[in-house]
Amino acid sequence: MSTRARMLAAVRASQPAALPLPAVPLFEGEASVGKFTTVLESIGGQVVSLSHLNQLAATVALRYPSEYRVASALLRTTVAVNAATAATILESIDLAVLRGAFGVAENGSVWLPEAAMLHRALPTIAQHLVLVLDRRDLVATMHHAYGRLASQPGGYGIFLAGPSKTADIEQSLVIGAHGARSLTVLLC
Amino acid sequence: MSQSPTHAQRSDVFLLDAERTTWHDETLWFVRQKRDKAVYATPEFQELRQLASDIKDHTLSQLAEYLEQFEAAALANGVRVHWAADADEHNAIVLGIVRAAGASRVVKSKSMLTEECHLNPHLLANGVEVIDSDLGERIIQLRGEAPSHVVLPAIHLKKEDVGETFWQHLGTEKGLTDPQQLTEAARQHLREKFLAAEVAISGVNFAVAETGSVVVCTNEGNADLAIGLARVHIACMGMEKLLPRLSDLAVFTRLLTRSATGQPITTYTSHFTRPAPGKEMHVVIVNNGRSQQLGRPDFRASLKCIRCGACMNTCPVYRRSGGHSYDFTIPGPIGAILSPNIDMRQHVSLPFASTLCGSCTDVCPVKIDIHTQLYKWRQVLGAEGMLPASKKYSMKLLSRVLARPGLFKAGGVAARLGLRLVPHALSHAPGYNPWAIARELPAPPKQSFREWYAHQSSVSAK
Ligand code: SF4
Repeated sequence: MSTRARMLAAVRASQPAALPLPAVPLFEGEASVGKFTTVLESIGGQVVSLSHLNQLAATVALRYPSEYRVASALLRTTVAVNAATAATILESIDLAVLRGAFGVAENGSVWLPEAAMLHRALPTIAQHLVLVLDRRDLVATMHHAYGRLASQPGGYGIFLAGPSKTADIEQSLVIGAHGARSLTVLLC
Repeated sequence: MSQSPTHAQRSDVFLLDAERTTWHDETLWFVRQKRDKAVYATPEFQELRQLASDIKDHTLSQLAEYLEQFEAAALANGVRVHWAADADEHNAIVLGIVRAAGASRVVKSKSMLTEECHLNPHLLANGVEVIDSDLGERIIQLRGEAPSHVVLPAIHLKKEDVGETFWQHLGTEKGLTDPQQLTEAARQHLREKFLAAEVAISGVNFAVAETGSVVVCTNEGNADLAIGLARVHIACMGMEKLLPRLSDLAVFTRLLTRSATGQPITTYTSHFTRPAPGKEMHVVIVNNGRSQQLGRPDFRASLKCIRCGACMNTCPVYRRSGGHSYDFTIPGPIGAILSPNIDMRQHVSLPFASTLCGSCTDVCPVKIDIHTQLYKWRQVLGAEGMLPASKKYSMKLLSRVLARPGLFKAGGVAARLGLRLVPHALSHAPGYNPWAIARELPAPPKQSFREWYAHQSSVSAK
């Protein structure tokens, strides 16, 4: 018998009688910009409001040094990135500006699907990260968030909440462990 | 009888440094308080716990079906699925994938399962460089230690220890203790490893039967960076990690970090469903004793654990004895339930490393009856004749005394008199009275309760 068959047989032999699967209610909460901002800022991110998407280039230019090597599908950028870009090129990117699909107010996270990343490693290898989000795309809780995904998580996707961080040395919070050293969400 | 040192003997080593013990205790209690704040800020938290518990109970009751559903979905997504009955088979499968990829460099993100299987030594012995990329894991890897906590693997170390380790292994300045600068040094060092690695290994926090996805939760982004760059991703999962539906993740992602560190969510909650074009994704499903635990009705619920660490942070025994004193991959209250399932004889002292205060059960986000199971293990171990001699004979004596009122009365008189007469050095001799280590005995009362009671009733009769 294969290991697979043996393992499944062992599990079947040990399983108790079937128990019901509960329905999970759609827990509500506040889906406001205020709530999203407070939570994201409490975990090290920043939120900046744009009145219109056409302000994006000017806002990025204002907030980040001009010599930054920028990768983005939303801006005219200095580094062209696609799924086949070599790691040595990705490594040199200072800033990635990407489009988030929706935000979750209860925990300050933004759903970033593979299609919005250019390359799967880009959101973590870039030194700094900007996510652009439509303020109408805020949901209250994770229940609404998974409702939006409706059993279609895509090939790869992240709920991304704030800059990379660690507290592994004496529980002191340090921002910028392996991934982006800062995260700014531009709400338009 | 058991030859390996007991939990109490191993914690003696940790307790030698009283200052560090106090610090360890306070730091973990601080994490527990952060958990409380996050919990009170979530109005439906208790409802979520019940849902999580029920979803897990259901999944375990149909685990074989969900495993098959998961496998079918993953295969349809282009993921390769492997089955491992035990640690050896798991290690052989992983090494086989690494070899087939022609790889010699591997980066690993945090995974208690690969610790449980001792994967690192196996890869190293076979000429594969394996680097742990989570900062805490990397620190203990450089020191040649095991994690002492499931979420905070280096919680037993102070920044001076980390500075010393990095000075020796990463060439940082001697005496550097600033966490920011130490983390920066690790960032630079690990980036080189990420860029060079051909294979990335990750653990699995949750697997979804409906979609065939695996979900990995990190704050550092090390799993995403490693997997995003490497050509081959191997996800190693214990078979109890399954959830039926994608939407169930809403319940579990809301509970996990709030219970663990008080965060609303991990920085990266990543869903891996299909390999990137031209790349490989493998999932290794591991049993290693889990089906056996599933077949023990009293201990089955321990398989619901989502490894948040809340029971460790709240446990007065764990906080004051340190994770290494458990000598098991998963320490603390939950480890003390899981370990006798693996080896009763070796881990016989762990179910006794508890005050049975029940705090672990109170904080557990999936409502595992941890303290009840600890109590049940004690009975099982007793019935198997594995109690340590000191406990066995004192318990036998006690039950005989308690069964005979006359004897109990005589014993009380003797004890009250004896305690007054016996010199302190004898009543506190460590060999005879372990209870009195670092404790004072209460002053013996002049009267017994019976005498007091008799006196009371004669007074009120007057
Ligand atoms: S037993 Fe419960 S509290 Fe302990 S780590 Fe597991 S899920 Fe968390």
